[in-house]
Amino acid sequence: MSAVPTAPPPRPAGRWARLGWHWRHDPKIELWIMWWAMFCFYQLFGVVFALMTRVMPPPKPWWGQARIVQWFSDNHDGLLWGFGICFLISGLVASCNALIGYSMRRMSVSRAFPYAYIAIYSLSTLPGMLLAAILLTVGAMRPDRDPAILSWIYDAAFMTFVGTMGVFLVGTAIWMLAILLDRNRVFPLWFGYLNICNLLTEVVVAPVWIFQEGPFAWNGVITFWVDTLVFVVYTAAFITLLRRLVLREDFGEGVLPDLAAPSAGRA
Amino acid sequence: MGASSLPLSPHRSPSRGEGCHGLPGQADIWYLVGFEALVFSSYFVVYLLYRSWNPDLFLQSQQQLNQNLGVLNTVILLISSWLVARGVQAAREGRHEAAGKQVWMAMGLGLLFVGSKLLEWSLKIQAGFEFSTNRFFSFYYFLTGIHVVHVLFGFVFLGVVLYQLGGPRRRSQPVIEAGAIFWHMVDFLWVMIFALLYLMR
Repeated sequence: MSAVPTAPPPRPAGRWARLGWHWRHDPKIELWIMWWAMFCFYQLFGVVFALMTRVMPPPKPWWGQARIVQWFSDNHDGLLWGFGICFLISGLVASCNALIGYSMRRMSVSRAFPYAYIAIYSLSTLPGMLLAAILLTVGAMRPDRDPAILSWIYDAAFMTFVGTMGVFLVGTAIWMLAILLDRNRVFPLWFGYLNICNLLTEVVVAPVWIFQEGPFAWNGVITFWVDTLVFVVYTAAFITLLRRLVLREDFGEGVLPDLAAPSAGRA
Repeated sequence: MGASSLPLSPHRSPSRGEGCHGLPGQADIWYLVGFEALVFSSYFVVYLLYRSWNPDLFLQSQQQLNQNLGVLNTVILLISSWLVARGVQAAREGRHEAAGKQVWMAMGLGLLFVGSKLLEWSLKIQAGFEFSTNRFFSFYYFLTGIHVVHVLFGFVFLGVVLYQLGGPRRRSQPVIEAGAIFWHMVDFLWVMIFALLYLMR
């Protein structure tokens, strides 16, 4: 993804020929592949966790053993197919991290920011989805186990899924700092500030370890619904802004061009 | 704040695109204030709903809070907000050293606020009222806790303001004002939390 090579041949007319042209000559092809991988990942993540496995919104934290065994058997097929997809696509997270790391490399900040972000976010799939997916798949695959063990698996799965957010907290803080310090205007300042809101949601989830019901449980209004809403707004914002970044990318060093109303006065 | 019509410091006349017409700071910080207001409003609505479902418990638990401490907290933050506003005014008039002093004092009061909050929490915990004691105290620790996290963020913002006030080449009036706006938001959120937790009957 270094300098643009000598002028590419003109774009052909036909759709397939044009696709081939992009593949061979578009200097942004890697960026677009990463962006589409990220886009597909978040779509599939939503489908798997909300529709197929029924993990979002989460089931009740106060259920007894019999009800939990029942839940595993009710969702048996959804859990297996859904998490099968989840295991297949989990590698796509690397492309999200790559693109976000790239966004920081395009900024005027130190290289330490993207490297630290990628190092921390390389762990993100574990607390973010894989631990929960592995545990719940085990539960679905071994319905004949002791209900007490299945309840333990159920608790562990949802507590790791909703309650372990330190990785995201630190990663978000790094990205936020980079955006606020950047002079190349890779992202608008408001998105830098929006990172504060996303970062705070990672703090807000802490009470899920204590409460089994109410607004602070793992399905609570505050710890799950408000947080998830903020996360969805944040994710939609950065997917859109990363697309704009790819469109604006000029492979140069200085200020990223093509901003309608640049907000001046940066730190 | 009648002096807001005074000319801005000669170091940095506002160029177009810095903030909106007459809006202090950058427009971007106001988006954050708006979003935070939405998030906190949702917390307040949830608190009020749970309160309306169990008014007796909330009223009884509320009596365990020390209103004097609450008033003290509010006064501390209001004064610090006033100092920050004076600091911004001084920065606008080019008196950057005076502005720096005001912001330092505001930060000191912020520290005092955090200290008094820690004291209040430890007194409550000693008296046996913990996070999971009942729903009111869950909300009490949650709302005051998340607010204190905002105060800590406020220190970062004020730290940037102090850094910028320290040297003419670093200075950017919109950034200084953005930091001040964040601090005012923290103050404003506390006033809401104080009214909802300590005062509402």
